[in-house]
Amino acid sequence: MTTATLTRANPLTGGRRRDGIASAVFAGLLWLCLALICVFLFFMLAVIVQKGVARLDLNLITKQPSKIRPETAGVQSALLGTLWVGGITALIAMPLGIAAAVYLEEYANPAKWWNRAIELNIQNLAAVPAVIYGILTLGFIVRGPVSIGAVVMAGGVALALLILPVIIITTREALRSVPREIRDGSLALGATQWQTTWRQVLPAAVPGIATGSILAMSRAIGEAAPLILVGATTFVTFNPDGVLSKYTTLPVQIYNLVPQDRQAFRDLAYAAILLLIVVLLAMNAVAIWLRNRYQRRW
Amino acid sequence: MTNVEPDLATVPETVGAAGAPHQIHVELGDRGNHRVPAGEPDGVIELANLEVFYDKFLAVSGVDMLFGSKEITALIGPSGCGKSTVLRCLNRMNDLVPGAHVFGDVRFHGVDMYGPGVDVIEVRRRIGMVFQKPNPFPKSIYDNVAYGPRVTGMKTDNMDDVVEQALHGAALWDEVKDKLKQSAFGLSGGQQQRLCIARTIATSPEVILMDEPCSALDPIATAKIEDLMVDLAKTYTIIIVTHNMQQAARVSHRTAFFTAAADEHGQRTGRLVEFDNTGKIFGNPADQRTEAYITGRFG
Amino acid sequence: MTTSRSTAETAGGRSSGSGRPPAWRGSTIDLGQQHPRYGERVIKVILVGAAWLSVAVTIGIVVSLLAPTVTFFTHVGLGAFLFGTEWTGGFGNKFVWDDKSWGVLPLVVATAIVTVIALAVAVPLGLGAAIYLSEYASERVRKVLKPVLEVLAGIPTVVYGFLALTIFTPILANLVQFNTIHNMLSPGIVMGFMIVPTVASLGEDAMSAVPLALRQGSYALGANRMKTTLRVVFPAALSGIVAAIVLGISRAVGETMIVTIAAGSRAQLTFDPREGAQTMTGFIAQIASGDAPQGSPVYYSLFAVGALLFAVTLLINLASIRLVRKYRQVY
Repeated sequence: MTTATLTRANPLTGGRRRDGIASAVFAGLLWLCLALICVFLFFMLAVIVQKGVARLDLNLITKQPSKIRPETAGVQSALLGTLWVGGITALIAMPLGIAAAVYLEEYANPAKWWNRAIELNIQNLAAVPAVIYGILTLGFIVRGPVSIGAVVMAGGVALALLILPVIIITTREALRSVPREIRDGSLALGATQWQTTWRQVLPAAVPGIATGSILAMSRAIGEAAPLILVGATTFVTFNPDGVLSKYTTLPVQIYNLVPQDRQAFRDLAYAAILLLIVVLLAMNAVAIWLRNRYQRRW
Repeated sequence: MTNVEPDLATVPETVGAAGAPHQIHVELGDRGNHRVPAGEPDGVIELANLEVFYDKFLAVSGVDMLFGSKEITALIGPSGCGKSTVLRCLNRMNDLVPGAHVFGDVRFHGVDMYGPGVDVIEVRRRIGMVFQKPNPFPKSIYDNVAYGPRVTGMKTDNMDDVVEQALHGAALWDEVKDKLKQSAFGLSGGQQQRLCIARTIATSPEVILMDEPCSALDPIATAKIEDLMVDLAKTYTIIIVTHNMQQAARVSHRTAFFTAAADEHGQRTGRLVEFDNTGKIFGNPADQRTEAYITGRFG
Repeated sequence: MTTSRSTAETAGGRSSGSGRPPAWRGSTIDLGQQHPRYGERVIKVILVGAAWLSVAVTIGIVVSLLAPTVTFFTHVGLGAFLFGTEWTGGFGNKFVWDDKSWGVLPLVVATAIVTVIALAVAVPLGLGAAIYLSEYASERVRKVLKPVLEVLAGIPTVVYGFLALTIFTPILANLVQFNTIHNMLSPGIVMGFMIVPTVASLGEDAMSAVPLALRQGSYALGANRMKTTLRVVFPAALSGIVAAIVLGISRAVGETMIVTIAAGSRAQLTFDPREGAQTMTGFIAQIASGDAPQGSPVYYSLFAVGALLFAVTLLINLASIRLVRKYRQVY
């Protein structure tokens, strides 16, 4: 195989040249893919900023939605609705998700069929369409057995169920990255399983869990589909004052503005989109920073 | 450190004197009386017909042994001979391996350690363990040592005293007394391993198991730990797995030699070949396989 | 016995031992539990409960879909639903079953067309990005590109939908003749970009899992990077790559907001992507956000369509999970 060394040194020989061209074309195509993705993203962001910045004023967050005066209307009720629903989502999904992940990673015997079934079930739930969680919450919480109506709590439950599998999966990954030796060291000292989990494993996994949870929360905050089914589309011009209050959220408010095709409504919609994107990108940035900051301490 | 020059593997005393890179080995040799136990071990831990399976795979079979209290017993043998598996049976760390099954008797003070009503937490509190790779917790030096007493609910008048005594016991106090609140990860490998020993003795165990405690350390750190082991044996029963035959010869009172034999399906099962006073094992082994191993012709 | 995952088995599978009296003649000790640890048990019950909750969620989904769906099928034949070519559930008297056609094919076909368009965008771009990230990119380039993909994945779908309607449809209208503002092409393309991060990150995982030794073997034989990628890495990672695409299909089929906003709400059987047509998810969102009195036929049909959607995505997801496990097992 003398040609092996010639490949790079002498690329001008017959077949090698064709290889070189094909190779360059292939690399060029890969570049093109990435360029297209980047162009699309930056084009979108540019459009949002350009169209949204005009109405990104104080009115946006201090005024309520209006069907009559879009020029000065805001989205305050939706912004506060997003905070309320997001808070409930976090309060439900994070403890449940982390607890389930701790069970699967620290306690469960993976050889048992029921634990494998739980695992398969969670993997599937992570890919169930968001709108299905809306149907579930509609059937059990809004109407049906609980029947609390189309209120903040229902929205929070719907989004919590939606991101629960995501939190379980990312928390498991964070727990798995804590070295076995830490657990062994603790157990060998006579610590119980829970002492080991609570005092050693969970603290060591906090950065990973936080990163995953923030990303999951940003997904919940941007989600509209399940909330449409649990009554967030009501036209609400007052701020929610509790978990049983009527509500709307930012993404749903944006959806509500779609049929209004007067320019003033479009400007308002783009300003709301810009506001939503800024919040979500900030959350993403925190998550990415956390991940880079605390990656692999051992 | 795993290859032994044949001329060193005669009697342990001469190993210390002739082959020692450090002064300490000669010292060890001088502790002659201490190092030659009289008679049979008292059997504070007893193995009878021990068998360990990992799922269907028989890892260790037919081990009968008595461990003596306040002695250092070394388990040696080639890789895969099951010596670490045996060690991990002694404080039920094997329970943590999915699919591990232990058959036969493992007795501690005559009590069946795998019997009904036995609490693994209680077992591990009394039988501590030091691992191959130093594994301090990502906490301060102080919290590392205080962790065991805290989680086991040990009644202490003053935790500071417990920590100081444990660090003294592990010959680490002078090196860390001014930085107890600093992260344990700032220590050198050898210091980390001694911290792990301090952490273990802080819970006042009776037995300390050591699974190749020096294999990740340099010769100077190794020497310090060996020194420490001899010291600790005045108070604790120590059982050590080591790849390093010189180490076994230098520090232990008794040595057990394990090897693995393949069955007709090619499955290798660990067995105990010979167990005797260290001087006997290294000076005049009864079994040819032992002699072959310690003279470097096998393994 | 609460502490370890195999204690129960170990104790259960244990023989009685040698029966020989112990050699120890010294003091005896008590290895029993020194104080009860009720807290440990309570915590374990809580953790187990949290894990089983996920199963309860699945059961809840099935139950919440099934009961109304059964009611629906007492009025509408299964065949008429699955193979009917006309869907007029929203028309006529709201509380009468018989004056409507309940053929779900228009919704299914619209879903399929949008999915195909989305995949036509997402598969080449996503795999191109995956190959680049796994085989070509330097660490510095990766540090820039990964966040780009993450931001793309983090943009809410309602925003994609809004831009598809107000920006991309007008742009595409310069190239293609649309009859109405609603069409399937624009949401399909935008959805494709939305799915790119899914395909790219799963595809990259699969290719990164291919052992370095395989690549080195190929380079040692004189193959260049392209040949190594296409003839060694790509085939070796195939099941993972297919899983990435399959999961992309699942996302496309289940995506709601983009199609609800930009593909319109006309349920019509058409294969022309320039036409607007309602998808399964679009129908669910439209009925839910508007005028479906509880107990009306169209209300029940929402659940029937939801059940079909769930069944389809379940099959797709299980296929994807299987494929991922396959490549995880190999490497």
